[in-house]
Amino acid sequence: MKRLFLYLLTLAPLVYLLTRLFIIDDVNDPIKYIYTVTGASATVIVFFSIIISLIKNKLNLMKYRKEIGLLGFFYALLHLLNFIILDAQFDFSFVIKETLDKPFIYLGMIAFFIILFMAITSRKNLYRKYNKYHKFVYLFLILITIHWIMAQKAISILQFSYIFIILIIGYYKLLQQIINNNRSLHYQF
Amino acid sequence: MNIIKRKVWQISESEVTPKELFEKRRNFLKLGAASIISSGAIMELLAKEDLPKVTLDFIKDKNKDNLKLNTFEQITSHNNFYEFTTKQSGVKDMAHTLNTDNWTVTIDGLVENPMKVNLDDLVKMFTMEERIYRFRCVEGWSMVVPWNGFSLSSLVKKVKPLSNAKYIRFETLVDPDVFPDQKRGRFGVIDYPYIEGLRIDEAMNDLSFLATGLYGDVMPKQNGAPIRLVVPWKYGFKSIKSIVKISFVDKEPLNTWQKENSREYGFFANVNPNVDHPRWSQKKERVLGSFFKQDTLMFNGYEKEVSSLYTGMDLRKYI
Repeated sequence: MKRLFLYLLTLAPLVYLLTRLFIIDDVNDPIKYIYTVTGASATVIVFFSIIISLIKNKLNLMKYRKEIGLLGFFYALLHLLNFIILDAQFDFSFVIKETLDKPFIYLGMIAFFIILFMAITSRKNLYRKYNKYHKFVYLFLILITIHWIMAQKAISILQFSYIFIILIIGYYKLLQQIINNNRSLHYQF
Repeated sequence: MNIIKRKVWQISESEVTPKELFEKRRNFLKLGAASIISSGAIMELLAKEDLPKVTLDFIKDKNKDNLKLNTFEQITSHNNFYEFTTKQSGVKDMAHTLNTDNWTVTIDGLVENPMKVNLDDLVKMFTMEERIYRFRCVEGWSMVVPWNGFSLSSLVKKVKPLSNAKYIRFETLVDPDVFPDQKRGRFGVIDYPYIEGLRIDEAMNDLSFLATGLYGDVMPKQNGAPIRLVVPWKYGFKSIKSIVKISFVDKEPLNTWQKENSREYGFFANVNPNVDHPRWSQKKERVLGSFFKQDTLMFNGYEKEVSSLYTGMDLRKYI
């Protein structure tokens, strides 16, 4: 039941996007709109995946954490495909040139490779070996935040409130780390 | 607002049979059923696109480049008007707060005939025209708009700039009761009033246009009613909206986006596919309503008309 609900929630943005694009058909700037919806969805879902361990006493979703992370990856992949297929129209020299040229794009690209790495190494056998590198999720979140802010023409209240929320999450994550570290110290003695 | 309203007895220009067709009536008749079907299809299309009723009189644009117009719906639901919101699709529903009745435009500075004039009176001084122009936003999207209004050069000639007037500075209305972002003070997205400027010779170019309508009807509020600038060879942010003041000055005005970020935006802002924005490419553009991109043209396709304004200037430097 929980799983069904999670999938409905995380796939809702995609259904919404497709409905707006092809059924309601009222999107003026489709390429940009696909960027916005897929980018925002990936961001929110991956952020949610790091909150799961914070709220596990109230709502335990730990066993779905991997799937949620993979759904985040799925949106990141759609975001990249939008760049390659619709925006660059399969002009790979353009993709490479822009990636090397524009900070805003190479930050996004690095972030994509981080989440790609995590998606691949989320398989059980690989996860045992690579899970320590999954801390890169924090770097991923920082990079896509900068990537998103750089995509704006001007920074407005929306961006500031987003940063504010991130700082709150960051604070609690840090607190959690400190508590965990203390606990493991206690066990050692 | 009252921009040369059509008299009841005048029929719309679009209802008049074109002369060529009238003279070739026989040929026209031969077209027979096919034409009936196709005109029916056109009528259906017009109804479907929900076009406004043509209320203005103007000299029609021949559209010699055969530009394909964006729909009225697209043009009026995708607007960068940061005084309202940074959300392009959101301006439409917020713009009703802009009251354009008894709009006054102040023309001052280095001119022989400064004036503070009611917009209706100002408009009556000039010949109304239609101009079908490409419109290219610095963000990478574009559209084609049938504007109505009058040439900026006709206004410049009327007010007679003094010899030391080198630039024109335009200013948008400031009214926090109308524009939510102006209410936010220091937390607003940009500094207000919104300022733009042109060199006098740019303003005198025949393409420079003051628009008071589009698609044959008065300017929708979200598009910068009641009067806005249109300079089609420059990125859209130069085409300042809801103008209240036009000043003739001797120094280059510091326009809003240059003031916000001079590394990324300059005074000239000429459309140029060969000079990227620092954060994104300007080679191509996303035409509104399309999944496909098209090549951006030098000076947005108006190279022939305007390139002489910039001879000898390094367009990489003067962005």
